Amino acid sequence: MSVPSRIIRITPGVLPMADVRVADREITCCLAYVPEAQVGDFVLVQNGFAIDLLDPESAAQSLAAFAELGVIDDPDTV
Amino acid sequence: MTQRWVLDEIVDPFGAKVVVDRAPDGTVREARFDLAGLPRVDPLLTGHLAAEVPSLVERLCGVCPAAHHLAGIRALESLAGGVELPVAAVLSRQLLHHASAISTHAVRAVTTNRDDAMTLRRLAKQVMTAVGSPGHFPATAVPGGVATPIDAEARDRCRALVPDALAAATRIADRTLPLAGPVDDFPGADVALADEDGRPDLLGSRLRAVAADGRVIIDAAPVGEWDGLVAESMPGDSAPRPYLIAVGPEHGQYRVGPVAQLRIGRLTTPRAAALQDEWSRRGGHAAGARTVITVHSVEVIAAILDRPELLDGRILVEPAAHSGAGAGVGIGWVDGPRGLLVHRYRTVDDGRVGAATVLTPTAQNEYWLALLLRRAVAADRDAPGPDDVPGHAADRGDTGPGEQGHGDPAGPYGPPMAARRLVDLEDAIREADPCLPCSSAPAGAMGLVVEERASGAPGAPSAVSPRSGDPSAVPTGPDRPSAPAGQVSDPSGGQ
Repeated sequence: MSVPSRIIRITPGVLPMADVRVADREITCCLAYVPEAQVGDFVLVQNGFAIDLLDPESAAQSLAAFAELGVIDDPDTV
Repeated sequence: MTQRWVLDEIVDPFGAKVVVDRAPDGTVREARFDLAGLPRVDPLLTGHLAAEVPSLVERLCGVCPAAHHLAGIRALESLAGGVELPVAAVLSRQLLHHASAISTHAVRAVTTNRDDAMTLRRLAKQVMTAVGSPGHFPATAVPGGVATPIDAEARDRCRALVPDALAAATRIADRTLPLAGPVDDFPGADVALADEDGRPDLLGSRLRAVAADGRVIIDAAPVGEWDGLVAESMPGDSAPRPYLIAVGPEHGQYRVGPVAQLRIGRLTTPRAAALQDEWSRRGGHAAGARTVITVHSVEVIAAILDRPELLDGRILVEPAAHSGAGAGVGIGWVDGPRGLLVHRYRTVDDGRVGAATVLTPTAQNEYWLALLLRRAVAADRDAPGPDDVPGHAADRGDTGPGEQGHGDPAGPYGPPMAARRLVDLEDAIREADPCLPCSSAPAGAMGLVVEERASGAPGAPSAVSPRSGDPSAVPTGPDRPSAPAGQVSDPSGGQ
């Protein structure tokens, strides 16, 4: 599953890491694939890696799809 | 209002776990990649309008959106009774599909050929943008064709990037192919899409299956025959263990992906075909296969960009019936970066989905991955580690960026698993390449959790079916009646 998540802080490094909020959880993920990501950006996260950046509109569409399928209970973006 | 994960207790989208099943004497009975974090979305699709399903699945899966996009649209066209697409639309879809393959495979070369990897990603992005898919989720294909025509300027921007991209892809292949890799002793068949001549075609209309001994099991089956080709041993399961019906559940296991794509026939583009020959001579590891397919995809894109029909303004036909409007069965397939992906929708009279099956490459390759993992875990604990063995994935440039050390988790059944064993597990996972970013994680950064279970314990993996030369394996039959893959989530079994 691919989870749109908003970056709330970034820890630079050889493997840059970010804390992201997804639904009601905060998780840490690796930004190695999207080094251009900034705080506030939406990313798709899987297995601890942010795999791509999403614009806010696309993130909203993804969250709406998750809500429509009952995977989350509110499509509002975080 | 704060969002809440309804499936929080069931799905951990952030986990990657290997389950090792040990006999009482400590020997490895089986090792499996836990796919519980990859639940099948099939049941969630029931009741939705068929026309909405492709984009829903793209959004849920996210790792291979272009493959799901194209397979889903093809399934909708199949529901409409089949559509004869305009040539320009066919070419635009091929551009999207091959660009997606390049983008996916290029990530693996970031550690060893960073500039070349970025060159390939630039071409892929330019091509996807040119065909109307600038974002992560594609919008190129629509039932009956494509949404927007490519124009000459966009084509020329792509063309300008091709020579450097082809040189970059070739350099990556030249570096990767000579490196040692895992011994390929997979006993099952290789399955991939092909053209009508039996040659690999990632967006082909035919399915071809070739046995390990080279015997052709399925020559050129059209998509309409899908339900008679593959069945699932454990219908609906995250790890359904599909098999070729023609061979049977006992020995009909197969794999998909770049290795299979190269094993079912000779590539149609010259430089990649020459590299394919070298790949075959050198033993045929998956890392090499990915680089050969990347060269092939660049060559295919170059050839398409030279075709005048690409700029033909006719990009859309009206399907004979509105896709998904009535009752029926639609099947769409593509051979994505990780292998064969199949969407099957059964609709009812109002065009809503009565049952859907999305059979992913990861699900199809789980048996192969289990064999690779079992071998990695069962290897002699004193065997040389990755520092001693040339050809580790990091040497092959088959990992993502960065590098860090492994942990050393202890298992409850014997001594701690050595760091080198975790590296072996990572290599096994990279070889089969499940559709998770952990597959291309930096060496040591896959975040694997290894869970050891006593044989027969609840949740312990079931044993691998016995293979030749593997007398230790315990036979296991399907614990439910097999069903054609297209009917796994279709209790009615009918149309």
